[in-house]
Amino acid sequence: MSNCDQFREMYEAYALGALDLPERAALEAHLGTGCAECTKSVAEARWLVSQLAYLAPEAATSDMLKGRLMQTVRSEAKAKSLSPVATGPTTTPTGIPYWLSAGIAALLLLTLYFAWDAHRLKQELRAANEQNQRNEQMVASAQNESAVTQQKLAAMEEQIAKMHRETTILTDPASVKIMLAAQKIQAPQMVAMWHAKYGIVLTGQKVPMPSGNRVLQLWLIPKTPGGKPMPAMTVRPDANGNFVILVANPPVAGSDTKALAITEEPAGGSAAPTTTPKWVGAMT
Amino acid sequence: MFLAAFSPKDDREASPDATLVRLLLQNDVGAFEKIYDKYSRIVYSLVLRIVQQSGPAEEVVQDVFLQLWRNSAQYDAARGPFVPWLLTLARNRALDTLRLKSERQRRLENQTDELFSVVVAPQYEKELDEKRRAERVRSLVGQLNPQQKRAIELAYFQGLSHSEIAAELKEPLGTVKSWIRNGLIRLKEGLHTAS
Repeated sequence: MSNCDQFREMYEAYALGALDLPERAALEAHLGTGCAECTKSVAEARWLVSQLAYLAPEAATSDMLKGRLMQTVRSEAKAKSLSPVATGPTTTPTGIPYWLSAGIAALLLLTLYFAWDAHRLKQELRAANEQNQRNEQMVASAQNESAVTQQKLAAMEEQIAKMHRETTILTDPASVKIMLAAQKIQAPQMVAMWHAKYGIVLTGQKVPMPSGNRVLQLWLIPKTPGGKPMPAMTVRPDANGNFVILVANPPVAGSDTKALAITEEPAGGSAAPTTTPKWVGAMT
Repeated sequence: MFLAAFSPKDDREASPDATLVRLLLQNDVGAFEKIYDKYSRIVYSLVLRIVQQSGPAEEVVQDVFLQLWRNSAQYDAARGPFVPWLLTLARNRALDTLRLKSERQRRLENQTDELFSVVVAPQYEKELDEKRRAERVRSLVGQLNPQQKRAIELAYFQGLSHSEIAAELKEPLGTVKSWIRNGLIRLKEGLHTAS
């Protein structure tokens, strides 16, 4: 039996990612020797496995996704072609409402809590790894434990990163505040804070619930004459009519935006507004 | 070069997809839109099948296409055809989302290396449109026995290993290995015959 014979039955499972660790390590070590036959067979198996994607039931993306992507891509292409790059807005916001301050304080507290919890999880992870080394028979279960802890840690880190971003947007003097006034409806103003680097945080309180399954959708109105509104996030307020949303990557720069608007749209959002704006706020 | 032995033929290097990807390096928005229009449906279908929810699925699709736009140089036509590369990228991102992996973890695990792996399409492979390709694969996998099909789907769409599938299906490990291997061999032979 040639050295390759023992690996012939593993090519497809390896390309599929289904090999358990010992077999995968053995095959990878063999591939590391530069075996041309096995390398070619694995490359062919990768193509075969990629064909399994076509088993997925056909589904179509929303027009909104394409709209968002194309706006981002056009904006980035334009930015790359311009030199020097235009700077973002620098207006200092004035006065933050008390409820927003309370929100910021809560975010900071939550950030501290999650940071502490992440530290605790890291210690747990370290302990789990040490236990791993001490007792080989416990390796399998310890690895599972470690994987679960890593997942929790990763989720926690993502949460912390999001909260840091929101906190920065809400507190950084470089953020621009935009008040969105209700149009022909009895409803409180919404407040958006736009940071050139970190994005937009939009907050609403006691907002009337959209009818049925409909959602509120944020639009960025470009300065360009005749420019179409660019779709951003959709949201449904909670039972008390409150919400906070983060637009991490606005499809257009603040300096190119004339105003923000909110419309009511079908669930999932729309590629272009289908109703008249219920809230509008001009960029200052 | 060692890898040169597996390089595609010249006609593949000049494939329409490879040409479009090269145009992305010149910030060609039109080329990006063509790629999106051509492949967003299969990418979204695959990602949705893995993550099961439309919101997170759209986020993954957006990440995949933005990565393509921002890092198109990562795709190397000499290492294989574009679509398997794109589908591998989308599958990895979707499975990461399923496992709640962060970008930091992905970097730590150096998973991007997998994207630079060589893929070789067999000699009989022809340029089929996406619809005909899907019909062909579904028909062939539909002919497998249900357990075999289920085992392959658990591996591909849920990222489970042999032993995890054996535990899920409550079947011996050796049986699961055979199901998956024989199923994929039958698919390979079927694709060859159908071409």
